[in-house]
Amino acid sequence: MDSGYGNNYNPYASQTGGGGFMAGETSSPSGGGKFGGGDNKTLRPVTVKQIIDATCPYPEAPFQVDGADVANVVFVAQVRNISKQSTNITYKVDDSTGDVEVKKWVDSATADTMDMDDPNGIHTKGYVRVLGAIKSFGNRRYIGAHSIRPVTEINEFLCSMLDAAAVHLFFTRGPSGDGAGVAASASGFSAMTDYGGPEAHNRALHNMSPFAKDIYQLLRTEPQDDTGLHMQTIGTKLGIPNMDVARAGEELLNAGVIFSTLDESTWAILDY
Amino acid sequence: MSMQSPRVLPQHLANFQQNAAKTPHTVRILGTVSELQGETAKVACGTHGEVTIILTPDDHLQMGKLVEVVGKVVNVEGGQLGLRVLGTSDWGNPADCDYKIWENLVDATHRIKTIFYDAPAN
Repeated sequence: MDSGYGNNYNPYASQTGGGGFMAGETSSPSGGGKFGGGDNKTLRPVTVKQIIDATCPYPEAPFQVDGADVANVVFVAQVRNISKQSTNITYKVDDSTGDVEVKKWVDSATADTMDMDDPNGIHTKGYVRVLGAIKSFGNRRYIGAHSIRPVTEINEFLCSMLDAAAVHLFFTRGPSGDGAGVAASASGFSAMTDYGGPEAHNRALHNMSPFAKDIYQLLRTEPQDDTGLHMQTIGTKLGIPNMDVARAGEELLNAGVIFSTLDESTWAILDY
Repeated sequence: MSMQSPRVLPQHLANFQQNAAKTPHTVRILGTVSELQGETAKVACGTHGEVTIILTPDDHLQMGKLVEVVGKVVNVEGGQLGLRVLGTSDWGNPADCDYKIWENLVDATHRIKTIFYDAPAN
């Protein structure tokens, strides 16, 4: 499908006499912008090195780790230094992969209540779990902490680093090789690069069922006219029951990577 | 300059010696204090054997406690590799720690270097 969206739309409009379906609704930049962030509420386990290595594609842009936007991060690290100021407490923390400053703003209204970190709970050389957002001020990168609490059990500390590793692998190599993953690789496109579609699609597809990935792949490669393929055709070509095609199609529709054309069960890839 | 100290098991120490190219030579081990002798101590790392560590006057290790030791890889008596201690963290009772998690984390650290430490790609 190398034709632009406008070409896709024309035959559809002529067959239905126009009306309810407005091209702008699905192809507008704001629709595609969903993948860019804005309403991104992810919480990602990371290592400090990933925070230091996080990229910022342009000023004011959300930070990216492994090519995916990160809104909030969580990690466990050892406190090296604590400095209290009137408006915030700055902790220098180190998790063995690097060190970073964490700022926890003091809410003057609640400073005296339990809402503020118990100064006795966090101490130098102690370990803390930090939940916050990556910020930068000038050239300095720091974590604006929403929450910071002591960690006393080593298992929690070590597991949090394994979490970061698992999520890193998810973003760089795709979902883990459980039953679904094996099925996907058996049919020949476990590697995300095989999809070749827009990057945003690839990212959306990470989370999807193997059927949804199969359908996307078929829609992308199968010769078709501008109206796409009917779900029964898809089912026959892939040998999947219609129920499963419908369910997987729903996933793709909700993610905005395909759209319905002639009727609700005829789909084409949304290229933009 | 941030300091990186990959987690290792005793058998990995040789890869982090001073002369090994471009890898950090500060590492972390986790184990139970099994011997205290003045300026040196031994730490038993699960089923992976013991590592001799050279203490600083500030270190106050206790026998039988689980400790994470950060140190530089150095030669110790008997031609073996040990650690010159930079810092230790006491994690209390070894029974509260699942050493398997540590082993898995060590494995992940070296398989997925990019998120844990800077090392030449190979």
